[in-house]
Amino acid sequence: MSSKKKIQHIKPPETNDRVDQLRYLAQIRGELPVEEEKPRLNVKKFLIISCIVLLALAGAFLLATVRLNAINAYNAAIEAGTITGEIDVTASTWILVRVLALVLAGVYALFMLVKLAHPKRRKPNRSFWGDLGIYLLMLLFAVAMVFPLVFSICSALKPLDELFRFPPKVFPSHVTMDNFSDLFVTMSQSWIPFSRYLMNTVFITFVGTFGHVVIASMAAFVLAKYDFPGGKLFFSVVVTALMFSGYVTGIPNYVIMSRMGMIDTYWAIILPAFAAPIGLFLMKQFMEGLPTALIEAAHIDGAGEFRIFWSIIMPNVKPAWLTIIIFSVQHLWNTNAATVIYSEEKKTLVYALQQIQAGGIARTGQAAAVTVIVMLVPITIFILSQSQILETMASSGLKD
Amino acid sequence: MQSTWNKYVRMKRENMKYNLAKAKKMKVCYLFLLPYAALFILFFIAPICTSIYYGFTYYNILEPPKFIGFQNYVNLVLQDEVFLTAVKNTFVIAVITGPLGYILSFLFAWFINELPRWLRTIAVVVFYAPSIAQNAYYIFSIIFRGDAYGYLNSFLLQFGLIDAPLLWLTDPRYILPVIIVVILWMSMGTGFLSFVAGLQGVDRSMYEAGYVDGIRNRWQELYYITLPSMKPMLLFGAVMAITQAFNVCDVPRALAGYPSTDYAARTIVTHLFDYGFSRFEMGYASAIATVLFLVMILCNKVIQNALRKVGT
Repeated sequence: MSSKKKIQHIKPPETNDRVDQLRYLAQIRGELPVEEEKPRLNVKKFLIISCIVLLALAGAFLLATVRLNAINAYNAAIEAGTITGEIDVTASTWILVRVLALVLAGVYALFMLVKLAHPKRRKPNRSFWGDLGIYLLMLLFAVAMVFPLVFSICSALKPLDELFRFPPKVFPSHVTMDNFSDLFVTMSQSWIPFSRYLMNTVFITFVGTFGHVVIASMAAFVLAKYDFPGGKLFFSVVVTALMFSGYVTGIPNYVIMSRMGMIDTYWAIILPAFAAPIGLFLMKQFMEGLPTALIEAAHIDGAGEFRIFWSIIMPNVKPAWLTIIIFSVQHLWNTNAATVIYSEEKKTLVYALQQIQAGGIARTGQAAAVTVIVMLVPITIFILSQSQILETMASSGLKD
Repeated sequence: MQSTWNKYVRMKRENMKYNLAKAKKMKVCYLFLLPYAALFILFFIAPICTSIYYGFTYYNILEPPKFIGFQNYVNLVLQDEVFLTAVKNTFVIAVITGPLGYILSFLFAWFINELPRWLRTIAVVVFYAPSIAQNAYYIFSIIFRGDAYGYLNSFLLQFGLIDAPLLWLTDPRYILPVIIVVILWMSMGTGFLSFVAGLQGVDRSMYEAGYVDGIRNRWQELYYITLPSMKPMLLFGAVMAITQAFNVCDVPRALAGYPSTDYAARTIVTHLFDYGFSRFEMGYASAIATVLFLVMILCNKVIQNALRKVGT
């Protein structure tokens, strides 16, 4: 009798949400305690309240600033001797009010964000205060992560006198492009025309990436879709090779290349890039997700292996080859290859820029400009392609 | 005993025959694999093998290598004090930045997982940017500059925490912590992306089932549901983290100078670089490379075994 009474108190779910339905079932069975129904967030009301809170904080901040200025002027006047009276010592209180208002406003903004991010009822197993704490922590770390990057952009935009100011400031007070124009002047005076460095990098990047994508995809295709003796072994060796950095293999590589007469040619950079293990690895993992029926159907229709690879598999793994293109471009764009290339006219762009950067105190501004230029290329590419990259990385796991 | 052995041999032989027949039938597979395999063996397998071989020789590029047995390894341990410093530094860096970077990148991937899509995108870019902005660590040489114009120094001076600028990048006491901070800053790499993508792919119905089965907070959910279903990504992330933790070279060279004061920032890789490309003692450098390589493989094995036990 009593259990029947309980059921009447439990509201059946209004939506098709499976969590709600499961919760409802569990509550009927008495496995879950019946919770108080939490009202949904009234967005309009919430925004109005938030406006009032933020305005109040802004008011406190303004008031404190005004008071602070008045006190400072007053104290200055007393020190100058224009008026008589005692020095006002309440300034520190107002500074505290100002800082407190700023901090509270920041926390409240985050609170709003959390509330608005989940306007409906909260997900199970997520407490509001837990979310707030985590987001606060994350915000802190995000600021710490971004600060050096913002800082390097800011110092590239500073005029020279501001770069050496004490105490130094993060944001420039006079934004200028002088550093960049100086950089171009330095570039145009270099012994080898600067376009040559650029052409070298573009050539290496283009050829290296193209070859890498084709060769690695071909290997990945058979490794992922056919079971042949030795295939598994080969792949496990490639996975181990993910750990080799260019430094560990650098010395014997140098010896091998010099035996083959490749030192001081572009091939010394391009050929190893063809065989980068990360590309093969990501490609193979992604291709395993393709249905085998696709290949079987093509076989029945009489397509050869190469045709299957080129016109069926490749169009279907677009995210993967975009990803390995991006990884390869990033790697090749940033090689300075100082150990394998000696002739000045074959050096890469990054090498030339690093030489400018190493120019000492007088080149501080230009060095900052170089950092920004070198940094912006890979970051921009990543931002443009991040959804494809994430799609590929979803299959990147190592299975047992 | 004899018969079991015979049986085993027969089985192996038949297995081989079968494999050979299969290989003949799948000739085209090897054709596809050939270009990659050739280059891979030439530039990744052959170097490792020759590195192991050169490790036992005296080789300076000009003269042919001379076999000297274990002399290089003996010298490494008994004579080369700088190498021992390098080993110590590398291990300090690896033990701190490896696990910490790995855990941080998983935690952040997990935290941003529930954000709305647009915010998640911004967060991914913010956290991943330092590791792709290749030489952005250069900026730390301004932040940690040793005079009063350095940002950290001027900040500390203004607040009265120190009364004279500290030589962050030249004083052996501070070099290593500074480098660790910079490497941690750059540690959200490929592994982080893998975690972000993997978390998106965890089956939602598992969480629902877990909720009904009595999981009460996010940490239980993390341990019993999320981590076990993320195992493949965790293994991949571990490989990436080990690679990054042990191959520290550019950051100390750019920040602390090369060579650094009292070799305080010397790592195994910079030591290898020194012998290989400055002194051209290729045999000795190869011995160092072999040691580093063995340590990494061993570390990888241990960690992979530990990770397999997560959540089971």
